[in-house]
Amino acid sequence: MSLLSRLIKDPLTRRKLQRFRQIRRGYVSFLILCGLVALALVAELLVNNRALIVRYEGRWYFPTYGAIHTGNEFGLEYSWEVNYRELREHFASGNNGNWVLLPPVPYSPTENAYAGETFRPRPPDWSRRHFLGTDQINRDILARLLYGFRTALLFAACFIALTYVIGISLGCLMGYFGGWFDLFVQRLIEIWSNIPFLFVVIIVASIITPNLWILLAIVVLFSWTSMTYYMRSVTYREKARDYVHAAQVLGAGTPRVIFRHILPNILSTIVTFIPFTVSSAIAALTSLDFLGFGLPPPTPSWGELLRQGTSNLNAPWIVASAFSALTIVLTLVTFVGEAIREAFDPKKFTTYQ
Amino acid sequence: MTAPDDTVLEVSDLITTFDTDAGTLTAVDGVSFSVRRGRTLGVVGESGCGKSVTALSIMRLLPQPMGRIAGGAIHFGGRNLVTLPPSEMLEVRGGQIGMIFQEPMTALNPVHTIGRQLSEVFLLHRTKDSGEALQLAIDMLRKVGIPSPEVRIGEYPHQLSGGMRQRVVIAMALACKPAVVIADEPTTALDVTIQAQILELMQALQDEMGMAIVLITHDLGVIAEMCDDVVVMYAGRIAETGPVERIFASPSHPYTRGLLDSIPRIEGQRKSRLSIIEGMVPTLSELPRGCRFQNRCPYRIDRCAEQPPLETVEAGHRTACHRWRELPPR
Repeated sequence: MSLLSRLIKDPLTRRKLQRFRQIRRGYVSFLILCGLVALALVAELLVNNRALIVRYEGRWYFPTYGAIHTGNEFGLEYSWEVNYRELREHFASGNNGNWVLLPPVPYSPTENAYAGETFRPRPPDWSRRHFLGTDQINRDILARLLYGFRTALLFAACFIALTYVIGISLGCLMGYFGGWFDLFVQRLIEIWSNIPFLFVVIIVASIITPNLWILLAIVVLFSWTSMTYYMRSVTYREKARDYVHAAQVLGAGTPRVIFRHILPNILSTIVTFIPFTVSSAIAALTSLDFLGFGLPPPTPSWGELLRQGTSNLNAPWIVASAFSALTIVLTLVTFVGEAIREAFDPKKFTTYQ
Repeated sequence: MTAPDDTVLEVSDLITTFDTDAGTLTAVDGVSFSVRRGRTLGVVGESGCGKSVTALSIMRLLPQPMGRIAGGAIHFGGRNLVTLPPSEMLEVRGGQIGMIFQEPMTALNPVHTIGRQLSEVFLLHRTKDSGEALQLAIDMLRKVGIPSPEVRIGEYPHQLSGGMRQRVVIAMALACKPAVVIADEPTTALDVTIQAQILELMQALQDEMGMAIVLITHDLGVIAEMCDDVVVMYAGRIAETGPVERIFASPSHPYTRGLLDSIPRIEGQRKSRLSIIEGMVPTLSELPRGCRFQNRCPYRIDRCAEQPPLETVEAGHRTACHRWRELPPR
């Protein structure tokens, strides 16, 4: 954290940020993306089959994040979780001051919105608040998109954290020590990166049902290598600079030299990579889901939605929403990445005059 | 000779080699000298003669994994630095031996503030408290003559001028009151006016703190200005060593003579041709047998094919030339 605050204080970083803000397309994309992430974080308040507020017999209930309320609690004759959409109609007909405030989209991503009716994709229906329609088992598509986005974000965040920690540490060590260590690890990485990733996923998925974490572990296991190449070469470059010698001369040990002196200097390289890693993580998860080796049902995911869409082309709203969502998000991320890359381009601002 | 307890750093028969594709090269071959407390030793020689490698050997910071100390000893504070375990070496670096670099532009980390870099020395060797370290850093900056150090500690290296940066580098090297400071071409990258200021500052700090300075340079003017003793190096070996007055007044090695003759002089006929040393320094992979200066030496004889020993001209003044007695007076 202190690293971050120091970076923000650094006038060079300020100029980079300022330049990033001047690149309109990237900056606007960044703001939109931030908005989407914020929406995903508070998804329960926007898209949920639980009510936001229930006013019943003079008491307030806020069921969104709390415990499950059964039907009995609100004067209904069942002891399983209350259906708030029905409850709202029930209260509306009662006219005794009880009311329910539902989220804008009152459906959960895993719930059959037409219980008891046949499974079939339903087109967008604004009066029933299925803004993007339903999928082939009557689940609201918007709900699945939003919660799927959250899963993808979580996946991408963990993916970045893990691959970068492994890739950066190992890459820096290789670049710093060089010699036999570098040569040896480099060969290991080359061998390792030749293991076909998809086959491993297929094999693992055929033995166990992967959850998000197992999937993450597999993808990370085969993705950290690319980061080491960049880190290794930039560390080689930085290591030759005098300030590294100066730090050693001051009596700083190896970890201190690498992590306190070299790493902050190559941070801009890392920052430039982040957006592209995000998009590749989202794309990886989506394609695994699309192929059916991804998250187990009923987890909401974009790949699964795409698969449904392509096998139900007579219900074009499914594939259209999933495809648009994926395209829009990946495009936004790429625009941000481009802008960051340009803002951090050392040809415009060098650390040495 | 001086009393032995006066010696803070003693390098004896240092041999430093590099493993390269062209085989093992000996960059420093049997170099010996001693540095006395509170005195300045100049190491002078052309590029590639092993000056900087000697310095890096003392710090045990040779480029890894190619460079290594193949022989000899470096005695400092009752210990042999050549055999010291790396963990103890960390204490010596910065704490007991400081080093000043040639390029103040690059010797400071561009992403850390001045205060942070300077207080790191104190955090590594003196105190655990970052507030106290910062206060010590401010005091140190004031000592090296940086105006309004309270403001400067918040600034980044690129916001300072070259002279200011070199002052910061000196402050970092001297922060923990080391017994020896190795200055590797400290003024080469600076303007002439700033050079004088920096040299003056180093002398003032030496008077105040009493550290010994090993001044590595190719600038004989700086040597004359600053040093008590001189080591003249040529192609990895010592050509001549002695007190600075002796070296300048009666150089006893043809190479030293050549160096002194190639200084332009204002007196005498102007725009006359500068005297130069003919030829090139042999590369480390194709050194001649015997005296390494023989291919450029005007006094060469057949005997030069065997390595001349360091012979004593007079107390403290030694030279590695077979013919030093026969050299014509200058």
